[in-house]
Order: sequence, then C-alpha cells, then structure tokens
Amino acid sequence: MKELLKKLSEEFGPSGYEDRVRSVIREYIERDLPKNCEIAEDRVGNLYFHVINRDKPRLMINAHMDEVGFMVKGITEDGFLRFGCVGGMNPLVLGAKRVVSERGIKGIISAKPIHLLTNDEKKQLPKVDDMFIDIGATSKEDAEKYADIGDYFIFDSGYVEYGDGFIKCKALDDRHGCAIMCKLIDAIKQGADTEYDLWFAFTCREEISYSSARCASEYVNPDYALVIESKAVQDIYGVDDEKKVCILGDGAIVSFMDNSTVYDKDMVNKLISICKKNNIPYQLNKYISGGNDSSAIQKSICGVRVGLISAPSRYIHSRANVVKYTDLEAMYEIALGLIKE
Amino acid sequence: MTELLKKLVLTSGVSGREDKIREVIKAEAEKYADEIIIDPMGNLIAHKRGKGKKIMFASHMDEIGYFVTFIDEKGLIRVGNVGGINTLSASYSEVVSERGVCGVALPSDSNEVPKVDALCIDIGARSKKQAEKRVSIGDYFVHAPHIKRLYGNIYTGRPLDNRIGCLVLLEALKNVKPTDNDLYFVFTVQEEVGLRGAKPVAYRIEPDIGIAIDVTSAGGKPTSPKTKVKIGGGVAIKIKDASVICSYEIVEKMRELCLDSNIKYQDEILLKGGTDTGAIQTAKMGCLVGALSIPTAYIHSTNEMIDISDVKEAIKLTCAIAERI
Repeated sequence: MKELLKKLSEEFGPSGYEDRVRSVIREYIERDLPKNCEIAEDRVGNLYFHVINRDKPRLMINAHMDEVGFMVKGITEDGFLRFGCVGGMNPLVLGAKRVVSERGIKGIISAKPIHLLTNDEKKQLPKVDDMFIDIGATSKEDAEKYADIGDYFIFDSGYVEYGDGFIKCKALDDRHGCAIMCKLIDAIKQGADTEYDLWFAFTCREEISYSSARCASEYVNPDYALVIESKAVQDIYGVDDEKKVCILGDGAIVSFMDNSTVYDKDMVNKLISICKKNNIPYQLNKYISGGNDSSAIQKSICGVRVGLISAPSRYIHSRANVVKYTDLEAMYEIALGLIKE
Repeated sequence: MTELLKKLVLTSGVSGREDKIREVIKAEAEKYADEIIIDPMGNLIAHKRGKGKKIMFASHMDEIGYFVTFIDEKGLIRVGNVGGINTLSASYSEVVSERGVCGVALPSDSNEVPKVDALCIDIGARSKKQAEKRVSIGDYFVHAPHIKRLYGNIYTGRPLDNRIGCLVLLEALKNVKPTDNDLYFVFTVQEEVGLRGAKPVAYRIEPDIGIAIDVTSAGGKPTSPKTKVKIGGGVAIKIKDASVICSYEIVEKMRELCLDSNIKYQDEILLKGGTDTGAIQTAKMGCLVGALSIPTAYIHSTNEMIDISDVKEAIKLTCAIAERI
C-alpha cells in the first residue's frame, strides 16, 4: 500500500480540482475489472466502484480525494500573487512554505523575517490577506505568463518515511483513505466475499463543504455508510492528556461523536466488535472536535446509518501531515471486516 | 396527563442516543397510530392515515448533555458537550449517566462562569481504575431529570425542552377527532445539535404542511430575554426564529383556528435559537411550515419552567390544525 499511498499523496488535487487524483485512482481500480463490478462517475466528479449484489443491503464506503490548497485571486503590480485558502488552514503554517501550481509553477509563500516584525506583529497571528505567493516574477506582466487568477496552488511537499513507521506528506488527509479503499477493491478482485451491495465512493470538495458527499449519498442511496478519514490529534509534548484526542500508533480511531455528527450506535458497536474479534488495535476519540462528510451523508435522503474510522494525524492541513502506517493497516482490516460481515 | 409527563421527563436521551425515550413514546403512540415507522436516524413516525392534506407534526425527543471523552488519573471525568449547555446552571448540578451513575458537574474555577470545555464530572471515584468500573469513554451523561409542581399551574423540571412538546404531540394523537387529513406525528432526533433529524423525515414524508412543536423563551423574569411571550399567556404561535420564517398563510390560519375555538394564544418571535421548523421547510422540494411553542423560562438550565395551562392550549391547537387546517 505504501507505493500507492506515495503516488496518491504526492498527486495534485485541491478541492474542486480532483481530476488528476481521480484519474490515478480510476486507472488503478479499472485493472482486471471483475464481471460483477462497475465503475461510474457523477456530475460533481465523484468516482464510484460498485460491487453488484442487488438484493443485499447497501453499504457505501467513502473517502475524499481533495486536499487543502490555495487559489490565486489577484496579481500585484510587482508580480506577487494574492491568494485565498481553499479549506481551513492556520495562517501560522503558511509562511515561507514551498507551493506549486496546477501548471507546475513553483513558488514560496511570503513571510516577513523576524528582524522586520514590529512588537505588535509578533503577538498576533499573521493574516492570509497580508501574504503573497512569490513565484520569482519581476512584474505583473511577467507573472501573468506563469499564473492567472483562479489558478490553484498546493503545498510542494513529498512523501517521506521516518522514525518507527511514521509517514509524512502533504495531502495524507485523505489520500490514505483513498489508498485504503483501492486496497479493499484489490481484495474484492482477489475474491473477498461481501454480504452487501457495496459501493466505494471517492468524493470531492470535502475540505470546503460536504456537498459532494451528499450527492454521492443521493446517487448510491445507501442503508449504511462508512467514512474513512483523518482525525487531527495533538499527541505531542506539552499537551494535556485529555486534549491529545488520540495517539499515533494506538490503532484506528472509532468515533462516537465529533462536531458534525453523533455516529449511529449500532455502527459504532459493530466496528468495535470487529476490532475485538480480530484483535485489531483501535481507540475511541478522547476529545470532541472536527467534522467530515459523514454529517452530510447521515442527513441525506431519508437518513443513513453512518460510522467513521479515522487515522490519528498530526499537523493536519499543513505541508506535513503525519500518520503511522500501523494505524492505516488497522483501518484497512476494520473496513475489510465490515465488508465481509 | 401528568403521569405521562413524568414518564417522558424522567426517561433520558441525549442527541443521537434516543433509544430509551423512543421506547417510552413508542409504547404510548402505538395505542393510537395506524402505523409506526422508525427511520435510519432513529426518528419515530406515528402515522394516522387519511386521504386529505399531508400534515407532519414534529417534536424533538432528544436533550442536551455530555459524552464522556476522557478519564484522568484522579478519576475525574472529562466530557464533550452535546448541544448548548448553560454552564452557569450546570456548575455543581447533579448529572446522571446512561447506566445510572450519578455525579456532579464541576467548573474548573469556582469564581467565574466556566466555558463548556472546562466542565468535568466527579462521580466520587478516587482513581482512574475505580472510575473505569462505572463509566466508559462514549457513555453519555445528562442533567438529573426531575419535575415538580410549584404554585398553581406552574411546573419546574428538566428536560422540559422538549419532552413537553412530546407530551403535546402524544395527547393530540390520542385526542384528535376523525379527519380526512393524512397525519404524521413525528418525534425527531438530534435537534439540539443542529436540527439534524427533522430533514430526513420530511424528505421521506413530503408533507404539504409541516408544524414543529417546541419550547420558546418566555420573558418577564430578571434573567429572561426581551420578549412579550409570557408563561401562562397561552400557546405561542411562531412568526420567526433564527432557523425559519414561518409561512404566513399558516400563521394566519393558526390564529384563525385559535379565535374560532377559543384557544388562548400569543404571537412569538424568537431571536436566538432555531427549531426543526427550519429543517422541515427546506427538505426536498420544500413545504409550508408553522410552529407552535410552549412558553418556557430558564431553557437549557437545570430548572426549566412552564405553565401547564399553556400546554393544554397547545394540545387544543394541535388537534385543531390536524382536523381543520
């Protein structure tokens, strides 16, 4: 899975521009397509892999393809790019970071050196409106050759393995979910049986709204949904235990509640029993925070029973998301267990 | 009626975990409905069949509370809030878990009104190990339920928001006269966390008219918001709240029904807070909506207060809408 995870995570795909990620996934899941499976795309850009089992209850497994990024909203007279954030980001993690555009243009996000900060500025969070992308242009005219209003940029930050099974890359949120789903599809192709009319939905635009997941749910009309996600955690030095949320390496997170969703009790219990039965490491969330596609899915159509498994992730929505490989393996095992139930 | 009210109030059910209260309501609704449906989110639909207008009444059965997130070395329990907690009232009040474990909600600093994530729960355990015998991560706590009659028609207790609405709906289901209208009495889930349950039900039912029944803030007390709505002033007919602008023809019609049937009513505009009305109005292709409210003081505190005579008027109006709108 690591090779696929690297390829997916390094691919360009901010919210609204998932095309390249979608084609990588499509190419991967299309190989040796079994007769009882089909692939589909909808109008908003969601990609589906369907294991046809028409009379069975319908389960949708979903992960989002998009990542946080930036969009150019203006060019200054001296050739710097004004930008807005696509998805929620802490302005502190932006300064002096390398970025790259959809056309492959490299840039640096401007940041004042400490020598030039006033005492007031030192105390305040920087504002995105005061930042620019520096692409090395010398004038507006020069810059316009390389970038245009509406162009996307993302963090330019590659896949690195370090320490005891830790992985760092941009966009691990939620490409690891996409990678897990691709591997589940491999398992199906290799003969894993399922008791569900099973849909895998690779969705768009999670980082800016949950509307694409709602479309996916209306397209599939599932009885049950399992969302595979990243969960922001703070298991680092100096944070009180009750605010760490979860710990990297302690297993997949099975959530009972976050800011957007109270998860279906039967789904939560089922996921936990799969973990216990198969000795899969798991942890419950120890702080209530964040939200994801499951809220839109749960409320869609006449209501859907929804569960969530997520990878504990440090430094989420920055150039360096960090996850631990063993947690991803645990998530794969839980999802596989659910499919087979 | 008061026996049923007692049962509704004393059965707990935080948003997303409404199983127990749903069972109580189901046992009562079954006696009068043609059909009972429980949808995937847990909404309970009691259907009284008819060939006329499709009317959906909705009253939420969930309440605010806490989920256990962490147990510390000393056995203190950290929680995340479910819905809008009044932390001033919550401090030093009794809480009880889904397994019946009692505790006290504590602020982290006794000198100021705590922020909601500064509340923790003391169940009397002296260590993490002791606490873990009785409480697990993911358990829910609610403020201890209770109800008392004070003076005359005035009752205090919790959670009157919105078990009192459930009572109105059950009494209306019981007392409604035979009618052509196709009636759906819905007890919704997860209202307190953002009107999450009502929309999928409205999507399923596709009503012509949606009517929510909930509590509304009453004025006239030192701490109450500026509003003309009074406890004892009759059922409140909602014109708007933060989630909805009610369909004007429904508001007018509700006033007419009150005048025709001698039902005591007052107009209501709620500035803060929303109701299921907003979610129902915009589900699927949309529908006409209205809402009737029970004037309530100290909403979301550990002692909410109502006048039972308003509840009686609310039942009358609900029946009138079901029969004659």
